[in-house]
Amino acid sequence: VGEPCPHCAAPTGTTDQFCEGCGVDLRVRRRDRTDRVEIDLGALAGVSDRGRVHVRNEDAMALGHGTAVGHETAVGQRTAGRSAARLAAVVCDGVSTVHSPELASRAAAESALDVLLSARSAPDRPAEHRTRDAVAAAARAVAALPAPSGRDAPSCTLVSALVDRSDPDLPEITVAWVGDSRAYWLAGAGAAEPARLLTADHSWVAEMVAAGVLDVATAMADVRAHAITQWLGADGEPEPGVVTLRPAGSGALLLCSDGLWNYLPDADGLAAVAVPTIERGTGALDAAAALTAVALAGGGRDNITAVVIPITVRSPS
Amino acid sequence: MTDTPGFTVDVDQNSYLPAGGSQVDAIVTVTMAGGPEAGAAADGAAPTPTGDGLEMIIVDCSTSMSGDKIMSARRATAAAIAELRDGVSFTVIAGTQHAALVYPPFVGTATADAGTRAEATAQVARLAANGATGIGAWLTFAGRIADQHPGAIKHAILLTDGQNGEHPSQFAAALDACLGKFTCDCRGVGTDWRVDELRAISSALLGTVDIVANPSDLAADFRAIMGTAMGKVLADVALRLWTPRGATVRFVKQVAPTVADLTARRTESGTQRGDYPLGSWGAESRDYHIEVQVTPGVVGDEILAGRVSLVRASSDTVLTNTVLTNTVLAQGLIRAIWTDDTALSTRISRGVAHYTGQAELAEAIQDGLAARKAGDGPTATARLGRAVALAAASGNEGTARLLERVVDVIDAPSGTVRLRAGVTAADEMTLDTRSTKTIRVRGES
Repeated sequence: VGEPCPHCAAPTGTTDQFCEGCGVDLRVRRRDRTDRVEIDLGALAGVSDRGRVHVRNEDAMALGHGTAVGHETAVGQRTAGRSAARLAAVVCDGVSTVHSPELASRAAAESALDVLLSARSAPDRPAEHRTRDAVAAAARAVAALPAPSGRDAPSCTLVSALVDRSDPDLPEITVAWVGDSRAYWLAGAGAAEPARLLTADHSWVAEMVAAGVLDVATAMADVRAHAITQWLGADGEPEPGVVTLRPAGSGALLLCSDGLWNYLPDADGLAAVAVPTIERGTGALDAAAALTAVALAGGGRDNITAVVIPITVRSPS
Repeated sequence: MTDTPGFTVDVDQNSYLPAGGSQVDAIVTVTMAGGPEAGAAADGAAPTPTGDGLEMIIVDCSTSMSGDKIMSARRATAAAIAELRDGVSFTVIAGTQHAALVYPPFVGTATADAGTRAEATAQVARLAANGATGIGAWLTFAGRIADQHPGAIKHAILLTDGQNGEHPSQFAAALDACLGKFTCDCRGVGTDWRVDELRAISSALLGTVDIVANPSDLAADFRAIMGTAMGKVLADVALRLWTPRGATVRFVKQVAPTVADLTARRTESGTQRGDYPLGSWGAESRDYHIEVQVTPGVVGDEILAGRVSLVRASSDTVLTNTVLTNTVLAQGLIRAIWTDDTALSTRISRGVAHYTGQAELAEAIQDGLAARKAGDGPTATARLGRAVALAAASGNEGTARLLERVVDVIDAPSGTVRLRAGVTAADEMTLDTRSTKTIRVRGES
């Protein structure tokens, strides 16, 4: 007896070419198990989906807290002795036109998370410095990947978040990004901390709009719309954007690849999908899944990754 | 199973679907090795027919057969008897409102040899026309004889000249009871019989139907039918179709040499698996059009949308093909691969396109003739015009010629026709019975 069918979980024979249940070609599916990855660490969760068009999932995510680290399919969940003081998450999107983009995004996400959560090296290093170290480590990991000569070297985007809850009433969030993966603050209407986009894409579109050359609609319609101007790869040191947020009210942090925000770029729109789910108490994973479902329903033209970190802020009494 | 003849299964399809696409079409060609062009048998020879066969010749002896027809029927039956191979069990049945044994003179069947063939021929010379027509009773009688020959290749020739006198429900019940018992080739002599009645029998019993308008042509036709029957080496072959969970089999149709819809003939043979009866096989090749509706996939998905194998009916004996010493399953794979390359997903396989047209051709002819009979000139003109266009486009010259006897063709490619006045019943019935005859396509252009 072989492993269960990755598509429908029916039993398979070791030499079967096709699943006798759903007919899926097992030789194709066994190559890559990242079609749909869900990681649920309770305090934060993520969903990464291949989408409806691309052959592979070239996005990657890694998330963890002080006592648990999860990336790709390997979810390490240990029982936390106390509420984790530190949460971190990384989302990377492989650049499709290069060699092995899925390896680049995976390597970057995992190495950045290692640095963000490392307790051994410089436990007191300020969050912004730790975040910049993490991006640099991710860049090195991608640059170290083998690349066949004559092909573009592996490269990817990155967005990371480090949540410091050492003061449980007043969490501090440090976000870094390279390329067009985004971080959003999500909150209900009229919340103390309004929903908004926290990052500014390193993209051709953003530069055209920032320079006042084109409006958003015209720029998005251009063939260069998805071209990014910063990335992690062999060719150069990235200059990440970094922002710090001390939210005045409760809400959630969202990290996502463009496979999600292309369908729903508006922070209030994203909040309308995710916040009610979180408030119903059904958890971060359901919120991430609900967001992913929006992109899939819209056509899923790209890989979709969404990581949701609910943030509670105690209001001053 | 050392004597299993070699079957091969070939699949012609475009396996590429657009994102969200769900309809998978394939032409499956099933060939039993034999003859110079196949050569899949180990020694290159045609499979050897076994002696274990049953032949039943059922001759209409109703009063309307008097004269030319009964004399031709006697000669034709004698010609068929002459074709019987030694060792084959056989019987001759006279049909009126009942069925009566003409030969052998005792209950049961005779075994063919020079002596029994001569005796039978002598008996057949005494066939007389006197009575009514009860085709259901004839079939029931033949079915009982067939029951005595389990495992044999069982075949009947049924000749009639008039329409059935039984109540339709009685006839239908009798036909239903014969399903799977024997195969039956039907012939209508003259023009007073009903095409739909004989077609119902031949399609239920996996045989052929044709008109012999001129009684003097009957002997040659019977000789040919029996010759083909003697070439059958394997009875009760079934096409087994596996489909993925959630899939629907839209249809399974034989499309060559003739169109015959087998969809409703399915019997479940396991999980996601059904068997369709194909009757008896000799050294021959037939094409089947299979359409499966699968759960829509996303780009990059690749699934098996169907697996075709051949089995002995009502058993799990899977038929194989032995090439030298390697026994391989006679199996065909129907695939579905989703792609965003429209150049791939919009192609239609040549075979699928061709046979879709041939099936529509048969339908257009039958619709057109029915409308013509009902006095609906506009519908008849439109449908027969469509048939002319399809026959011309596919190069089905045989059918095109038959159509020309029923309509005046003004412009074949556009299907512009005029109904002809004074069409003979024979021409109309010939077109009707042969409407299902298709021509085959081979290879890529």
